[in-house]
Amino acid sequence: MNEERRQILQMLAENRITADEAERLLDAVGRELPEPGPGGAKARPKYLRVIMNSEEGDEGPSKINIRVPLRLLRAGVRLASLMPPVAITRANEELARAGVPIDLAELKPQQLEELVDALDELTFDLDDPRNTMRVFCE
Amino acid sequence: MIPQLVTVRWRRPTGHRRRAWIPVVPVALVLSPLLLLAVLGGVVACLVFRISPTGALVGVARVLWALPGTRFEMEYGRTAVLVSVR
Repeated sequence: MNEERRQILQMLAENRITADEAERLLDAVGRELPEPGPGGAKARPKYLRVIMNSEEGDEGPSKINIRVPLRLLRAGVRLASLMPPVAITRANEELARAGVPIDLAELKPQQLEELVDALDELTFDLDDPRNTMRVFCE
Repeated sequence: MIPQLVTVRWRRPTGHRRRAWIPVVPVALVLSPLLLLAVLGGVVACLVFRISPTGALVGVARVLWALPGTRFEMEYGRTAVLVSVR
């Protein structure tokens, strides 16, 4: 997401503009964006990034910067699909006990792959006066 | 491609810094007898838990092949850790 789009969405979130105005502005920004390269399709992201900066903490500011290849997530998902039924039953019990009633046996590897694919679109921004966190794909 | 080099860097609260470059292939060759034992142990564990050993080996190989590019960096006050796989 570029800076202009972010500012428009920020203004919308702060009720400084209406949804219609935001849509018109986003359209205008979209028209101003350069055309994609000769390849046509946008390059697919390769990495999931997590960046966190915090000014809070007893020992001073803290910083986390993680870069995980999306291929690694896909490989992990495939490896997790080999979990034996006994382990899945036990994990389900623990999840239910923790208040997360998810049946892992219902999660198919293909669905998890689709979930990882959908991460391409993920952008998560958290701004706090003393903390910032960004999760995105690049 | 399998990981070639793992870089580990850390800084202690005292300001003491250390850096280590671990060439994966030579280290794996040196530790190959232990790795072979670990693989055999893994195969036995797969058979005990009724998991396909081939599937597990392929899965682990995929994870290893996907590792290059991974980077983990953390700073907390004067303490810092970096692990980078190339």
